[in-house]
Parts: sequence; structure tokens; C-alpha cells
Amino acid sequence: MRTSRTPTLPARGPDSLVRRVFSHWQTILVVAYALAALSWTMPAILFPPKAAIDGIVKGPFLLLGLWQAWDMFSPDPRTDDICVEMRCTDLDGTIDRRMLTDMVAMGYSERWQKDRWRKYFNDHLRLDVEHRLWQPFAEYAVRRLREEGHDPVKIELVRWWRPCEPTVRPELRADLRQTPWSSYVFHRWGVPREWDR
Amino acid sequence: MKSPWATIARAASPFDQWVREPVDPRPLAWFRCWLGVLSLVNLWLLWPDMSMWLGDDGVLPPHVHREMVGDTRISIFMLTGYSDLAIGLICGLGLAGGLGLVLGVFPRCAAACVWLASVSYAWRNMDILHSGDNLIRIGAFFLIFARSGEALSLPRALSRRLFPQAAVDPVALYQPVPAWPQRILQLQLCILYLAAGVWKLMGPTWRNGTAVGMVLQLGEFQRFPVPEFFLTPLMSQVFTYGTLAFELGFPVLIWIPQLRLPVLVAGLAFHAGLDWVMNVQLFQWLITAYYLLWLKPSR
Repeated sequence: MRTSRTPTLPARGPDSLVRRVFSHWQTILVVAYALAALSWTMPAILFPPKAAIDGIVKGPFLLLGLWQAWDMFSPDPRTDDICVEMRCTDLDGTIDRRMLTDMVAMGYSERWQKDRWRKYFNDHLRLDVEHRLWQPFAEYAVRRLREEGHDPVKIELVRWWRPCEPTVRPELRADLRQTPWSSYVFHRWGVPREWDR
Repeated sequence: MKSPWATIARAASPFDQWVREPVDPRPLAWFRCWLGVLSLVNLWLLWPDMSMWLGDDGVLPPHVHREMVGDTRISIFMLTGYSDLAIGLICGLGLAGGLGLVLGVFPRCAAACVWLASVSYAWRNMDILHSGDNLIRIGAFFLIFARSGEALSLPRALSRRLFPQAAVDPVALYQPVPAWPQRILQLQLCILYLAAGVWKLMGPTWRNGTAVGMVLQLGEFQRFPVPEFFLTPLMSQVFTYGTLAFELGFPVLIWIPQLRLPVLVAGLAFHAGLDWVMNVQLFQWLITAYYLLWLKPSR
């Protein structure tokens, strides 16, 4: 004689759906985070729902520090060597020149320690769109220079650049290359005598 | 006829199981320890310049910063306002949190401290951040929810030393823990590589094989010397296409159990090479912490 088991049907209705969703909250959370992070990091042209998803996750991502970008050296690496220099003219006319991000001239450990300098000065302060940073940096420099005993009357910020060759050869590395540098004073500040005294 | 939901549910079942089945706590503990060590190194590197980057008298005074930041982000500065007291708190929390992560002492609190310190300096000066900061923030955030103190923890080691009769069975020693924080961090690593690869694919120099040769010429990234034969057009093509293949291949191949270890070893070699030739502070080291999450410990 065949015996048949009567299947127990799950209860239907909104209650069971909520329960089921709740019982899978971990999976839902993992999928939601993965989708959000994927959308946040992908180029818009290749990920059509980016605008909609980013609109939803922007608030939580920024609030919680989960924002991210993984686009270093892309879409293309930079094609110029870059340095930022600060020039200080003292009251007696002497000029003190400081290359802030000449990484090749630094020793190995200093270069490593000052990676954030490279980020700040080369990737941000140097740019015209970041002009809001120029004067605050000049003022910071004056405060530090006065502490060192200087009496600055003029601060100049100079960007230096030289193109990399499109070809690859050992002698074209930055420490050996003979390509000439170009420079441009992008911010100049005559320090008022009574400023911050 | 089966509903489409039932079909989707059946197809998603292995993934669901992967996320929900408790896991051995050791990979999370390894991740916690290594992330703790690296967060301390990061703090040590940041320390000398902190007042310059974050202080009221620094390069980004409050009135300029206020103009630049338009959104709300959790940070210590929410409590202190613009104040140099916040710098002290960032140092203190970063130090205590980093040590807590390394030693497994109150690991969730420790993770919260590291997370709060890292979101705080990130909020105060976005222009000094590198990719390694992202890995610290995200890793510490999900460690807050993970039971990462179930292994490699000083309090547990001390309690075993003091009460040796309490735990002798090695299986009982490592009670399984919820997997989802580990799963999120594993997926995060895949997303990182996928995004990096896709962005590179959009650039002509990555497609024509000259990108790495160009990077190797740049002074600001130059680190240790490299053999001369690396600096040829042929090797530039090898490294450029190799980078693309690795970054786009990792998120796929890591899921194949037989290939997992070779992929991780290849990744270590890849990042060790990058760390040698390129002056990028801690990213190559931090990413190895995420690799630990893919290891399967022997019982």
C-alpha cells in the first residue's frame, strides 16, 4: 500500500513574505552592498543604472565612510612629471625655494612617508579648479616660515612639469631623463607687513 | 508551472548558503590582525603631518573646508567642531583601535575606533586620501559587525592559559561565526579589481600596451630601481596586458576552488612587484589583508 505524505503548505500572505525576507536579511544585505559598491565604482557609460542606484546609496555611503574609487592610472596614466614649488622672498630680498614634491630627489623613506604630499600638492593644489586651496596654503607657509625665523614679504607657488616620452627606454626614467622642465607661477601673494602678527 | 520567484530562489540558493552558513573564525581574525597592524603603520605615517593636513591652522582652514563639504558624514569633528582637539582624538582612537585589532581586545570596539578615526581624517581633508584609506575604512566598518575575536585573541589566549581544562578540543576552539561580514569584504575585493580593470580598459594607453611603460617613467611614482630590460616597449606591453588580465580575471577565477590559491599567489606577486617599482604608500600591503579572507584554514 502506498502511503502519501501530505505536504505542509507554507502559509501564504504578506506575513510569510516578510518573515521569509527577514530570514534572508544577510543575503539581501550582502547583495545590496555589492550592487551599491559596484554601481559606485563603475563608469556611468558601462553601467546604465548607475545614476539611479548612486542616488539611493550616496547618502549612506558618504555618511558611513563607504565611498570608494579604484580608478588609479585610468583611464590613462598621466603623461607629465610634476612638481610643486614654494618660493618665499624675505624682507632682505633673499629667495628661499622649496620643492614640495620632488619625489625623485627624496630618499626612499622620505618619499614613502610623503606620499600624501604628492596627493595633496600634485593631484589637487596644483590645479586651477582647486584655486580655493592656494591662498590658505600660502598663509600656512607664512606662519611656518615665521616660526623658522624668516620674514616673508612674498610667497609664490610654482608648478613645474615636463612631458614623458611616448616611448619606453631605460634612459627615459625620471631620474635620468634630460627633457627640459617648464614652470608657471600660479599663485602670488604679497604678504602684508601686519598680517597675522 | 513553477513561479519565476521559485526559479530565482533555487538559482540563488548556493549563494544564499554561502552567505548564511557560519564560517571558521580564523580568516576574519587574520584579516583583523593584519588590518590592525597596517592601520597603525598608516597612523604612524600620517602623524607627523597631522596638524598641517587637519588642523585649524593647517593648509585647509575651517572656512575653506566648510565651502568644500556639502554633505553629512559621521566624524569626530561632529562632536568637537573644528578643533585641534579632534586631532588628538583621531590619534588616540586610531592607536587604541589599531592595538585592539592586533591583539583581539574588544575587537568590535577597536574596529569602531579605527573606523571613526579614518572617517574623521577623510572628512577633514579629502585631498590627502589614497586608495589604502578606502580599504581601512571599509574593512574596519564591517569588522564592527563581525565576530572576529573568536580566534587570535589575547583575552582568549590568556583564558586558555589560566584555565587549561576549559578548552582543549581544537574544533571547539574555533566555533563557527556568521559569515556575512566576511562575504561582503570578499565581494568588495572582487569589485575593486573589476572596477580597476574596467576603468583601465577605457583608456587608449591601456589598450595599446603603453600604459605601464609610461607609469614607470613618471618621477613621482618612481621607487626602487628596476632591471633595464623591464623598460622596453615589449615589456611594457607584457605588464600592461598582464595587469588588465589579472584585474579582470581575479573576480572570476577566485570563485573556482582549484584556482583560488594560484590566483592569490599571482596576486601577491603582482602587488609585491607594484610595491617595488611604485611609490604608493600602503595600498599594496592593505590589499593583502583582504586576501586572507579567501584562505581556508585546516581544522
